[in-house]
Amino acid sequence: MAGVGLGDIVASVVDGVLIGGLYGLVGVGLALIWGVMEVINFAHGDYMMLGALATYFLATRLGLDPLLAAPVAFGLVFLLGVATQRTVINRILDAPLLTQIAATFAVLLIIRYGVQAAFGPYTRRLSSWYANEIYYLGPVVIPLPKLIAFMASVAVAAVLYFFLFHTRTGIALRATAQDREVAQLMGINVHRMYELAFGIGVGVAGLAGAIASLFYPVFPEMGAFFALIAFIAVVLGGFGSVFGAFLGGIIVGVTEAVSALFIDPALKDVVAFLLFIVIVLVKPTGIFGKKV
Amino acid sequence: MEARAVLHALRGLRGYTRSPYVWAASLLLVASPIVFMKLGLPFYANMVFLALMYGIAAMAWNLMQGYTGLFSLGHAVFFGVGAYTTMILAKYYGVTPWLGIWAAGVLAAAVGFLLGFPLFRLRSHWFTLATIAVAEIFKLLFAHWGYVGGSAGLQMPIVGPDEQLYYLQYPGPYIYVYVALLVLLVELVVLYAVVNSKIGLYLQTIREDELVAQTLGVDTFRYKMIAMVVSGFFTGLAGALYAVRFRFVDPFAVFDLITISTYIAVAGIVGGIYTFIGPLVGAFIFVPAAEYVRATIVQAFPRVFGLHVVIVGVILLVISLFVPEGVVGYLQRRAGTVRSRG
Repeated sequence: MAGVGLGDIVASVVDGVLIGGLYGLVGVGLALIWGVMEVINFAHGDYMMLGALATYFLATRLGLDPLLAAPVAFGLVFLLGVATQRTVINRILDAPLLTQIAATFAVLLIIRYGVQAAFGPYTRRLSSWYANEIYYLGPVVIPLPKLIAFMASVAVAAVLYFFLFHTRTGIALRATAQDREVAQLMGINVHRMYELAFGIGVGVAGLAGAIASLFYPVFPEMGAFFALIAFIAVVLGGFGSVFGAFLGGIIVGVTEAVSALFIDPALKDVVAFLLFIVIVLVKPTGIFGKKV
Repeated sequence: MEARAVLHALRGLRGYTRSPYVWAASLLLVASPIVFMKLGLPFYANMVFLALMYGIAAMAWNLMQGYTGLFSLGHAVFFGVGAYTTMILAKYYGVTPWLGIWAAGVLAAAVGFLLGFPLFRLRSHWFTLATIAVAEIFKLLFAHWGYVGGSAGLQMPIVGPDEQLYYLQYPGPYIYVYVALLVLLVELVVLYAVVNSKIGLYLQTIREDELVAQTLGVDTFRYKMIAMVVSGFFTGLAGALYAVRFRFVDPFAVFDLITISTYIAVAGIVGGIYTFIGPLVGAFIFVPAAEYVRATIVQAFPRVFGLHVVIVGVILLVISLFVPEGVVGYLQRRAGTVRSRG
């Protein structure tokens, strides 16, 4: 296409990778929940929004640096996730699909519009000392908040990786994902694992929200977009694969950023949704189809 | 045997035409606009209209969810296409909505036909997710499509009194209740025939076990397509009713995930997806409740937004956790016409 040079493409790819890390982080939590419990959490994006909102309030009301507020946001959303697991998710583990979707969708409505009722439908923006720092590398423009967000996303994913593969609890979690009955026979408290999986899953989404608040506006419906993106990332990553989901998120980010060069940037989300449909059609098992 | 239980219920439904309750309900419906007009209560007449509009869409939605097991949260696609079709035909081409409504159904059905090819390759929640994605795509595309007014939408110009009948433009909601009743009547006849034919049996077989249905020689793709096209047609009609009644169509209203796709599904779930009439009853329970709560909250707390949707969420959560068979399903089970599922 005329007017689009190699430099622009490189710049878009970099931009896409940076934002993709965040998408991936939202997807990671979704993949973890799906991998362990085979429950699709339709409210996933709204836990992310809660994390972003918590960070916003911690930063503006208590003067906490957003990056310090992020772990607090994780803790709050984690606890809410455990509560959700106990009250709602536990009841629908073996329920028909309709009930699973309807119940988690109801949770979505309650969270999203509860926040809107309590705090108003306003869009909030966080300011920080690095909000307007920008680095230039030739044609590549790197805003510092996006760079920090990407590095934080990678760090969180790395911590999660360490937890899942190198701690006793993480291994128990993966064992539960592989075979519920056998895990139970091995003395693993499966229901505790479910609480942990759901808490960590939505907690990581909340953390992603905290990170997003560095450069992304915070508003009650922000989760809607990120949830769909997370689903796309999970599909790309092959359902149960937590780290496939992270990579899937980066692919979505790059696809969006590059396609924005060639079409109306406002339609880049359409490309992401189309990507979702195409991927599911072409390879329903995802690109990196493997378990947790 | 779940399929047999549903069949049993359906056979029982034939008795509905002899039921005094059905006659009483019909009479109430037909009389309600006149009563509300005499009493000067347009809000309540509008509630009846909305309940009918959502009921028409929810029954259509249920052909896919309740009968075929295809859970769509993207029915706003059909609704929106229907609304835009009627609007564009009337506004740009001077076609009377009396015809435009049916054209809306046809176009929405065509959209359903085209969407079937990609969507039917998906199973369970991936199908549901894809329907959401499709509706979002439509919303974004319509918001960027200049011909249909972009994000500003389209407004029907006000016409003179001599063209009221042609353009179906009347003050207040009263007349539109009858237009909706006409559409509902057509839908009831068509859907009843469909679900009580062998198509209906095949659809339920697909719902219970698609693989078994295939093994039995049922062309599952074909029958899922029939469900989708019929469902799209009547949901398109509901969208057309919206355009005719409110004379204003914009992408964020008619392709909305919450007030269209979700409301339709919640009406169906509240009423009872494994029953024929449940979604219509569900709409008459859920829509007035939601409308009433919304209006009351807006009046009491003008600065609080979205609380009524929280209540919608609570209703959905309670029904799906504790009364998954829905109100009509529950009543039928209590009355012993149908055995408990599972």
